[in-house]
Amino acid sequence: MTKHYDQELDSGYTMTTVMAEAARCLLCHDAPCSKACPAHTDPAKFIRSVRFRNFKGAAETIRENNALGAICARVCPTEKYCQLACARCGIDTPIDIGGIQRFVTDFEQQAKMDILEKGPSNGLKVAIVGSGPSGLQAATTLLQKGYAVDIYEQQAKAGGYLTYGIPEYRLPNDIVDFEINRILNLGATIHYNTTIGQELTLAALKTSHDAVILAIGASQAKMLPMFENNAYTETAVDFLARVKTNQGHVTVPDNVLVIGGGDVAMDVATTLKLLNVPQVTDVVYETFSEFKASKKELEATQQMGVTIIDGYVPDSINDNTVTFKHRKINGQIQVQADKIILAVGQVADAAHLDLTLENNEVPFTGYQTTDPKVFVTGDIAQGDKTVVWAVQKGKEVAETIDAVLGGH
Amino acid sequence: MINKDLSIDFLGVHFENPFCLSSSPVGNCYDMCKKAYDEGWAGVVFKTIGPEHFVVDEVSPRFDELAKEATPFVGFKNMEQIAEHSLAENLADLRRLKADYPEKVLIASIMGTNEADWTELARVVTEAGADMIEMNLSCPQMTSHEMGSDVGTNPELCQKYCAAVKKGSDLPMMAKMTPNITDMGPVAKACLAGGADGIAAINTVKSIANIDLDRKVGLPIVNGKSSISGFSGKAVKPIALRFIQQLRTTAGLEQLPISGIGGIETWEDAAEFILLGSSTLQVTTSVMQYGYRIVEDMKNGLMHYMAEQNVEHLSDLVGLANQAIIPAEALDRDYKVYPNIDWDKCIGCGRCFISCYDGAHQALTWDEDTRRPTCNTEKCVGCQLCNLVCPVGAISLGEVVMKPGRTGDVTAVEVHSSRLS
Repeated sequence: MTKHYDQELDSGYTMTTVMAEAARCLLCHDAPCSKACPAHTDPAKFIRSVRFRNFKGAAETIRENNALGAICARVCPTEKYCQLACARCGIDTPIDIGGIQRFVTDFEQQAKMDILEKGPSNGLKVAIVGSGPSGLQAATTLLQKGYAVDIYEQQAKAGGYLTYGIPEYRLPNDIVDFEINRILNLGATIHYNTTIGQELTLAALKTSHDAVILAIGASQAKMLPMFENNAYTETAVDFLARVKTNQGHVTVPDNVLVIGGGDVAMDVATTLKLLNVPQVTDVVYETFSEFKASKKELEATQQMGVTIIDGYVPDSINDNTVTFKHRKINGQIQVQADKIILAVGQVADAAHLDLTLENNEVPFTGYQTTDPKVFVTGDIAQGDKTVVWAVQKGKEVAETIDAVLGGH
Repeated sequence: MINKDLSIDFLGVHFENPFCLSSSPVGNCYDMCKKAYDEGWAGVVFKTIGPEHFVVDEVSPRFDELAKEATPFVGFKNMEQIAEHSLAENLADLRRLKADYPEKVLIASIMGTNEADWTELARVVTEAGADMIEMNLSCPQMTSHEMGSDVGTNPELCQKYCAAVKKGSDLPMMAKMTPNITDMGPVAKACLAGGADGIAAINTVKSIANIDLDRKVGLPIVNGKSSISGFSGKAVKPIALRFIQQLRTTAGLEQLPISGIGGIETWEDAAEFILLGSSTLQVTTSVMQYGYRIVEDMKNGLMHYMAEQNVEHLSDLVGLANQAIIPAEALDRDYKVYPNIDWDKCIGCGRCFISCYDGAHQALTWDEDTRRPTCNTEKCVGCQLCNLVCPVGAISLGEVVMKPGRTGDVTAVEVHSSRLS
């Protein structure tokens, strides 16, 4: 079947097939899957609810633990967390926990369930800079605790990388919008097109709010010096945002070179194939044994016919021809392409935020900065950089603020 | 998370929700009942307490299970009898449970061999603090023919023993019925005449679940032999529902208070028992398979069901489905409904064709090239077997037609259900 960029690649379970998958679950004691979920989404409990045909109860478990449950269901690298821990691996293959979670959150949406409740107002206000996953989860937890929440987003739409980065076939915008609307309905106010340091200052936010959370993420593409000002080169961040904003209606030449081996690079390569680019070559610094991209993304990319060359680092560029050298053995390759997309990482831009970052992270553990009113979360906080970790950090920064401000 | 009042009154006792452990291995001591209470069960029917002179002596192993394809525990066979602890130990556990959980419901299941036993057991469990008594007239695997289902099929004995229990205790009392009988009505009526306040139904069904084919012995094998014993679990649910429905539609028993038992493991099962007339529910087999935790989803799911049905009190649901169960001769036999086959959804497995040919009326034709079925309405009787076997929901209820010579408004016929779309 021909797949398109604007169609979700994975078609999802039906009622019959989800019951068959849930029936495979061993309903373990002290379930390892639940212990392995960074966001404590509690898969053991929601799968048990599915198993006993309590779909609404399953939805409550997911939603109350994870404000972005429908998003995590689609993008979480479950093979590194819950599914890696699954005891069913001792028999055959792990339970498709992400797939079951997606079925349940789709059910929740169709049943028009309204699970989250705003807490009684405690009169305190928190400003959140950035509306990516961590900012959204922090907003939700704070609203549940009775805080008023203002979110400041520099783009025209909320969601950060969820909206502008992860491709439509993997995470439809409708899903992201639905999750964000849920948080808006809970009482969050989002101020769009507002960059702190330009339209508003951090000092002003600290005056108008009881606490400020910096959830700015690593939103800027990293550039390698040799590619600067190269006319054929576009960053992955710019490319993915351009394709997603235009819902796949963009023109791309027939031969594209991708450089990078993380999930973003896989997203770029797969997007190119879904846009019917015949020749997509991805050259990766890491060898397959040390690959950064999730196995699921790597396999999907390979299945689509992307040529992946591992272990090579760019050495020089001449117009549209890049020369790579192998990192370990003596060898080099040259790739000529009509377009070059650079997916070699992202950096945080903390200008005007009085924040010192080292390797795009704050140089301390936890969430409170040296300024007692200012907190950090998401990718700039120390720790993993996945959406599920962003969710957990969002919950934790909200708890930290609640402990500091004593909102109860 | 949803929170609705699941409480219900039964025989004058208030239950915080309808879910109780049934008298069985799952409620055999203080620690088990404590854990069940802590995990959300409203009541416990403590494992049947017998007279001191009856010595419980169990076999090993003592269980078997019936599987179908990849599904284990479709049904469960159990040879265990009544509580193996001493009378003094059991009574001490009852006392401690009531002291530690005064708001929970503690039901003492008892079983005697004669009137004096029944009276004495009723007296001592009342003294120990039980809120209610259940008479076990129905265990099918007792080693004494003066006990269990041999008693429960005899109305005269049942009446006599119920009266004996009432002599020993003023507590509300329910008599637990055996399904190993054609009509439960006479036994239930005899129990009520003897003083029972309500009925618990059903106990287990006499069974042989499997045979070891090499050894040519039933399972479980006890030193080369086996016995008939009680069968429970999901497979007996239809039998339990039938008995409960028939009790509630027996003249004079329309308001009979019932504690429903038989294969309950989901909130949907629970709702079915309630809709046919059960006020409280008792569970064992699914607890043995999955643990006390299953009560969480039963409670939560039942709350959501009440919300969907706009019902504030669980008691408003009791018995609602009885009115639409009528004698077979009273059903509307004037119409038939054809299958509607969606060729886009069809994956070409041909299961509908096989079932229609081999199990119905040869009304489906099979195109070997396109691998798609077509319905010949001349032969189709509207049985919908094809609809039931389709693995992808490609067959739904289609056109409703009156049978030749019958009159009626086909648009007024109610055909749809949660099973057949």
